[in-house]
Amino acid sequence: MTNPTQICLNESPDKLSDTCLDEIEKSEAFERLVMPHLDSAHNLARWLSGNDQDAQDIVQDSYLRAYRFFAGFRGGDARSWLLTIVRHTCYTWLRKNRSAETTELDEDAPLSDDTAPDPQSILIQNATIEAVRSAIAQLPTEFREILILRELEDLSYKQIAEVAELPIGTVMSRLARARALLQQRLGGLAAKEERR
Amino acid sequence: MNCQDFFDGELDPLRCREIEQHLRDCPRCAALLSAQQSLRTALDRQALRFDAPAALHEKIRSSLRTRKTASPTRSFTLRFWLSWGIPAAAFLLLLSFVVGPRLAGSRQEQLVRELASCHVRSLMGNHLLDVPSTDQHTVRPWFNGKLDFAPQVKDLSAEGFPLIGGRLDYVDGRTTAALVYRHRNHVINLFVWPAAGGKGGSVEVRSLQGYHLLGWQDNDLQCWAVSDLNEAELREFVGLWQK
Repeated sequence: MTNPTQICLNESPDKLSDTCLDEIEKSEAFERLVMPHLDSAHNLARWLSGNDQDAQDIVQDSYLRAYRFFAGFRGGDARSWLLTIVRHTCYTWLRKNRSAETTELDEDAPLSDDTAPDPQSILIQNATIEAVRSAIAQLPTEFREILILRELEDLSYKQIAEVAELPIGTVMSRLARARALLQQRLGGLAAKEERR
Repeated sequence: MNCQDFFDGELDPLRCREIEQHLRDCPRCAALLSAQQSLRTALDRQALRFDAPAALHEKIRSSLRTRKTASPTRSFTLRFWLSWGIPAAAFLLLLSFVVGPRLAGSRQEQLVRELASCHVRSLMGNHLLDVPSTDQHTVRPWFNGKLDFAPQVKDLSAEGFPLIGGRLDYVDGRTTAALVYRHRNHVINLFVWPAAGGKGGSVEVRSLQGYHLLGWQDNDLQCWAVSDLNEAELREFVGLWQK
């Protein structure tokens, strides 16, 4: 991405210092391991912030942080590592730039129609992409992030637990909850559409 | 929850087969699974994802580059030393001016305490004199081979300060000569050892726990007279000795 060799040569024309060599290695490793996950980073930031411009600022900020902390990355799953940073940056950003819009999360609130998904299944399948998008956007952030990580980023429960810093059990219950809410909303929406 | 695990591919092959078997027999679970499947179909991954715009790639690369051109390590070190190193160095220099003399002072205090202790100790046991003699020509040679310097021994008996002997003592981390004089019933210990620096002249006067201590430098020897004698008479003794 950058040209660290050039930078280092500019700094000490006769020989490359150890710090420069470290810098080159670091920069190459970062390019190889972290840069490919830019789409994932942006996707998460966009879904959490709900806004294009904010998402871009958050991602940029996250990448600068990631580069700064890259020395602390001890191998493993670079995407989970990056997404953890993105998520943190997101919440810091949202806290700083927006009034507290998050409502108290009631994980055990009953769903209105929990047990009859069957007749709605077909309808849900036909929901427009805009309807799906808006239904996801309306989910409480805590449920939304889990759903995004699972369905759009295809992370495993373990990876999600890592990124969201939650126990796997909580990840699973939130995921179930997010899906149920989504089915309910889309089902209701589709049913209304049908009746018209 | 097993159904969800299965749906999300979190189960090992053995458990998967069990669930598949179960789904064949349990319409409720089969319905749940099919509902999950419809939802997943609705969640069209490609359509719902917000991939990063191409401009963002370039923006991030350039912002990382700017960071690096500024060379975090080197410029940080430089800035660190400029902003902290110079004031810190100035502060330490100032501190050495302020604290240095005090440290030296406290070292002097320590020496005074040590001399007073030596004086007291010499009177406590039976160890005031190693060489009891009023004859300076007996006392002075006695130190030969016991010290790496030859202290001057003066007889001041005519002036009322008779020499009663000498002994070895240990002051300020080295062996010293202690010359013992008497004035009326008071004992004067005169400690002598080679001086560290070359400053002579003035007599330093200290008092500690009722004892008076007078220190001065006689050529390259450091001298301290310690006694319970009053300061005026001790000064007189020192004056006579310095002649």
